[in-house]
Amino acid sequence: MDQNPRPTGILHSLGEEIIRIITPVSICMFLVVILVSILDTNSSNFSSFNTIATIAYDESTSDSEWDKFKGALLNSLVFVAVVTVVTFLLVLLFYFRCTKFLKYYMGFSSFLVLGFMGGEIGLFLIQVFKIAIDSFTYVLLLFNFTIVGVLAVFMSKIPILVTQSYMVIIGVLTAYWFTMLPEWTTWVLLVAMALYDLAAVLLPGGPLRLLVELAISRDEDIPALVYEARPIVDPRRNSIVQRRIWRNVDLESTESSQNQRIIANAEEGQRIITNAEEGQRIIANAEEGHELTAPLIERIRDHGLVGENLGLEGIGLGSSGAIKLGLGDFIFYSVLVGRAAMYDYMTVYACYLAIIAGLGITLMLLALYQKALPALPVSVLLGVLFYVLTRVFLEEFIVQCSSNLLMF
Amino acid sequence: MTLAAGIGYVLLALGTSLALFVTIISTKPFLILTLLSSTLVWLISLIVLSGVWRVFLPFKTTAWWPYSILILTSIAFQEGLRLVLWRGYKKLEGILDAFADRVAKPRLYLTDKMQIALAGGLGHGVAHAVFFCLSLLSPSFGPATFYVDKCSYAPFFLISVISLAFVTIHTFSMVIAFNGYAKGNKSDQLIVPVIHLIAGTLSLVNLASGGCVVGIPLLYVVALLTLAYCGKMVWRTLTEAQIRLAYQDQ
Repeated sequence: MDQNPRPTGILHSLGEEIIRIITPVSICMFLVVILVSILDTNSSNFSSFNTIATIAYDESTSDSEWDKFKGALLNSLVFVAVVTVVTFLLVLLFYFRCTKFLKYYMGFSSFLVLGFMGGEIGLFLIQVFKIAIDSFTYVLLLFNFTIVGVLAVFMSKIPILVTQSYMVIIGVLTAYWFTMLPEWTTWVLLVAMALYDLAAVLLPGGPLRLLVELAISRDEDIPALVYEARPIVDPRRNSIVQRRIWRNVDLESTESSQNQRIIANAEEGQRIITNAEEGQRIIANAEEGHELTAPLIERIRDHGLVGENLGLEGIGLGSSGAIKLGLGDFIFYSVLVGRAAMYDYMTVYACYLAIIAGLGITLMLLALYQKALPALPVSVLLGVLFYVLTRVFLEEFIVQCSSNLLMF
Repeated sequence: MTLAAGIGYVLLALGTSLALFVTIISTKPFLILTLLSSTLVWLISLIVLSGVWRVFLPFKTTAWWPYSILILTSIAFQEGLRLVLWRGYKKLEGILDAFADRVAKPRLYLTDKMQIALAGGLGHGVAHAVFFCLSLLSPSFGPATFYVDKCSYAPFFLISVISLAFVTIHTFSMVIAFNGYAKGNKSDQLIVPVIHLIAGTLSLVNLASGGCVVGIPLLYVVALLTLAYCGKMVWRTLTEAQIRLAYQDQ
């Protein structure tokens, strides 16, 4: 019937990069929700869960609401202060060109996350499902799993799917540990981190802004754990380009056939300080420096035509770009959704939609302003707003309608 | 009633949407974005409605008229929102066509436009199924089951059956509506709110004791009618377009 196959329309490839970022974020959130539902821990099991985030105040269910809020505020302030200090430390190290040290530290942190956190969660799962496995086999499997993960983080010759999967797994593990914090602390911490992110990236003295400017001026990588949607193949040399975040901005050059524009927005990654102490149930959160999670949303565009200026490409809907998103974003989004899952699934759906909407808005702002932008604030604030609205308004409405089999 | 039953109920409500998603929508990233945005819009409309109605709930009476006001206002609000969506879609179409011209690719085909409308409708349907059905299915993954007094013929979890009908209605009425607005066809434009209203009022029948035996089959009749109407309309539009193309070629 169709004699001439008609040319493919624009709908085929429009919006591809956005989907390539939304998919792993969704998978990460989904896995955290599943973990939270399966390992249904309540506060009584983890009454001695001490981390840097609960140093100031340990929430207990018997306190009044106002006390809980004050305590949570104190906790968040301490956490944000620690994060700020370590970020400035990172900027200092980067300034003194200790990049090798930072890279090794990054590998070490991912080893801790995969090995110890992953190992503990694996133990919980074994308990819940009553899997018959002996400790030697388990240690062997865990060790192999961890080492492959560290290699995936370090080397770029590993297939991209393996690297991406390990990034998502590291995000899931860290996010799950964060959901074990007490409730009020988690919510106030999320909002505090969103505000801190806003300040760190946009204020002139903010650590992340300094970091980004340093990296641009030196044309170097920031050593960080970043999820990249696809590898960048350099057509001139036909080889996988090393994972470089910054490159010479060469907008109008007619000499090079390759016209690359980088739009980046750096943002914070969270850090958790490790205190590996055995014999006590002081659960350590691996320290991931900035290195682990310097969430950068960036797009590397690569088009052969010089001087092309497509408005829609700026929204990230171009056909050959690649977006990178830092792991801190993954983690905090998943913490929000995981915490919502501890209440009810309706809040999970609402928060998921809010976070995706926030991510979309951030990407559009990125295309508009073309400078470093934080990815946390919009999504987290929207997510918290939708959580509160759902819990207060929507739930009662829906339950009333559905229990009477009334729908529209 | 265990994991298998829970998954069964979920798939009952969302199975056809999943099939549509995998075959049509997942191949084009833009359609996935459309689906997500229309789901979000529906959620926002639900939140606004629940914010307005929160003070009056829970209803103290078992009379049917407060519920009918609830349904009427909700449906009116959502149909108004559909008009807003149409305006937004027109603007988007303009942007996309301009973009297509700049990259020297063909403009949006008719099937592309209908697919966008389908994705929008599916977004609405999925939002309905997720919030009215899925969020209440969490107990079904456990060991017991639950019955409501008014409809003791089947477990409560058969709300997924109702949701399936509504998903169909939402999905295809969006296609009908967008086609109607594009052509200026009054009958298409009017039939969509009417269908929505009929479906909503049919669910009021469920308030009566034992009413669900009557209400649910009638609802399915409405859903099938929507499906048939949409199919006929799409067939008519496509054959018209093909005749026009053949005429131009001569």
